[in-house]
Amino acid sequence: MTNILSRAIMMSTPLLLGSIAEVYAERTGMMVTAIEGIFLLGAWGGFVGTYITGSLAAGILLAIVCGTLMAALYGFITIHMKQQQIVTGTAINILAGGFCSFFQRVLFGIPTTPLQIDVLEPISIPLLSSIPVLGPMFFQQNLLTYFAYLVIPVSYFVLFKTSLGLTIRSTGENPEAVDVAGLNVNRIRFLTVLVAGAMGGLAGSFYTLGYLGMFTTGIIGGRGWIAFAICFLGNWNPKGAVVGTFVFGLAEAVAIYIQSMSNINIFPNELVIALPYILTIVLTVARSNFNVPAKLGVPYSKEN
Amino acid sequence: MAQPVVEIRHVSKYFAKVIANKDVSFTVHQGEVVALLGENGAGKSTIMKILYGLYGADEGEIRIRGEAVHIKSPKDAMSRGVAMIQQHFSLVPTHTVTENIILGNVHGRIAIKEYEEKVKAIAESYGFDVPVDAKVGDLAVGVQQKVEILKALYLNASILIMDEPTAVLTPQESEHLMGFIREFAAKGNCVIFITHKMKEVMEAADRIVIMRSGVVVGDVRKEDTDEAELARLMIGQELTAPVRTQAPERSEAPAVLELKGVSALGPEKTPVLQQVSFSVHAGEIFGIAGVSGNGQDEVCEVICGSRPVTEGEVVYRGEDITRQTIRQRIDGGIGYVPVDRYRDGMIMDMTLAENILLKSSYGGRWTSRGFISQKRLNDYTSQIIRDHQVKATGPSDLARSLSGGNQQKVVLAREIDVGQHLLIFNQPTRGLDMGAVDRIHHTILQEREKGKAVLLVSTELSEIFEMCDRIAIMYKGRIMGIYRNGELNTQEIGLMMAGVAAGKEGQ
Repeated sequence: MTNILSRAIMMSTPLLLGSIAEVYAERTGMMVTAIEGIFLLGAWGGFVGTYITGSLAAGILLAIVCGTLMAALYGFITIHMKQQQIVTGTAINILAGGFCSFFQRVLFGIPTTPLQIDVLEPISIPLLSSIPVLGPMFFQQNLLTYFAYLVIPVSYFVLFKTSLGLTIRSTGENPEAVDVAGLNVNRIRFLTVLVAGAMGGLAGSFYTLGYLGMFTTGIIGGRGWIAFAICFLGNWNPKGAVVGTFVFGLAEAVAIYIQSMSNINIFPNELVIALPYILTIVLTVARSNFNVPAKLGVPYSKEN
Repeated sequence: MAQPVVEIRHVSKYFAKVIANKDVSFTVHQGEVVALLGENGAGKSTIMKILYGLYGADEGEIRIRGEAVHIKSPKDAMSRGVAMIQQHFSLVPTHTVTENIILGNVHGRIAIKEYEEKVKAIAESYGFDVPVDAKVGDLAVGVQQKVEILKALYLNASILIMDEPTAVLTPQESEHLMGFIREFAAKGNCVIFITHKMKEVMEAADRIVIMRSGVVVGDVRKEDTDEAELARLMIGQELTAPVRTQAPERSEAPAVLELKGVSALGPEKTPVLQQVSFSVHAGEIFGIAGVSGNGQDEVCEVICGSRPVTEGEVVYRGEDITRQTIRQRIDGGIGYVPVDRYRDGMIMDMTLAENILLKSSYGGRWTSRGFISQKRLNDYTSQIIRDHQVKATGPSDLARSLSGGNQQKVVLAREIDVGQHLLIFNQPTRGLDMGAVDRIHHTILQEREKGKAVLLVSTELSEIFEMCDRIAIMYKGRIMGIYRNGELNTQEIGLMMAGVAAGKEGQ
């Protein structure tokens, strides 16, 4: 049991980082629909950086850079060229898939055995990890998960208790108000998208660096979109994102657990794998009373 | 004479092909209230947005307190004491009053209580009753405007620009606002307010700058002028007010439209109409007055069929049409000019002919053997362009390429044709210049003479008084009373628009 919960928390890490990245961006009115591609590029960058240099730190750094660059492309097209966000995001996601498989082959050819790297080791926090049940659950995780813990309160504080947060939230609700207050709407949006890209890249790198230790083009498998959905479900609030994330992390951990138990055959394997995705649809439909940022997805331009 | 606070010198501004401002010059002195008077599109807002740094000027210079300044953004303007209240408030409805006021002017961690105290103190010093911790979206429009003013006061603005500040206010609220403007100016500040209402100008301004087609055509002291002269300067020609004869008692004429205790719900299941009852008779113009957003749009929608009725019935020519579809009502002869031309009235990227066809695309009128008969449609559209003096080159002009007034004439022509018995006009002259307003008023009166029943929703009391035979006042989805034109003065209507019930009940 503890094992499943501990796993659930681990699997929540990228979803949490990704959905909070999305919360930041969407609060300024930018749907980062390129999140799936940003995840993928982060995963790839993390793998490549680590494989070539042998250093996990280099991998993480490259993942962040890749995510940020992808977000910069997305932001440039949607904010400065004022293109439709969903279409742009979809295009970028396809681009990311092609980019990764192409350069994967350019760099490594077609290896006979999958290329492996060492994944991030769990770090036991002294004292805290020896608390029964909770200790192993929360405090025997890897570095990225600890970082995600930190992101939750910091994001909440930034969004709701600081002037930066007020600006971010106002930009998504009424960009005119922000403009009239003498702030640059498009710059705020672009910078926020970059931050979201950096966080998204880091989130993606979890799948290669913190979990699988190898890269395949299908590694993200829609989890970027799940992070996107969690942002909606969590009502554009880091607190909500935590709850949503844990539910999906749990679903994923359970799915992996059931798959690993070869003697349990009640559910078809495919259904188990589909569980987190089915849950997304069910919860999205069930969730009512949304608090959508009023100008979500709407480009800003001064009249004339 | 003392040095002027604001000097605008030979400022010009071009948008793509259009000249928005040409060689605009005027000055504002300390303690002065200047009205910037002009029709829509005269360039009043543009020149003020330049002063506030939202637009850059292409030519000319601006001096503030004698110093030539280059205002690149509202931040620059604010640092020189310039604040501007936009026509459409720039507030964040989901945030609190205080959050709105401090937006962009705080750094780091926000100690919200401290700021609330500060804002409260400023509000009290001007006698504003504003709940500092309430969500702006929950406040009445008049209070929201005070929030906007507080924003300026919070920044210690000494040059306050207001764009059409009274457009959304009741007459009493407007009076308060004018009082504030005088008080604020008396403290040694200056106020520039943009308006097209002559009455306000004569009430509050010291000096009046009149603009037309992007240029300043007059700069006069209030004592040296009168409304007639201002109107002439504004329009560039004399206007003849349409002559309306008060309709005789129409109660014996058949009721074309009758609403019986109609209620309807808005988003989030809040009641937007509550027990609305009235009737409109043939050959009469029935007006609905009120501050916008008090259920007028919804009344129009339940009549034309785009909003379901939860209670009560809508009777049209003796028949209950409450459950009829929109198309049945169109076929039955109900014409509807919606409030928002861009959203509900036209498709801007289609031609005039196609927009004319919109409401009668089915049926055989414009088709032969299943194909649109371009010739028939174009001939008809050309005739409309002639008859209604639409400034367009022909039926295949894109709707977008016309000015607002001309677009509205096309919508009006289409709806008059559809509405053989009943016409609903929801603020048909909103945002139009006086020439177009005049033309539309004449058309509406003509239709009345033909014996059609007309429902006219307007937020301009002058329009209500000028056009209507009977007047209903709406407040928060209810009818506050129904009166014959002439029974009420502005004061009484204003009170009812603010929700204060009248002592007497008309009808």
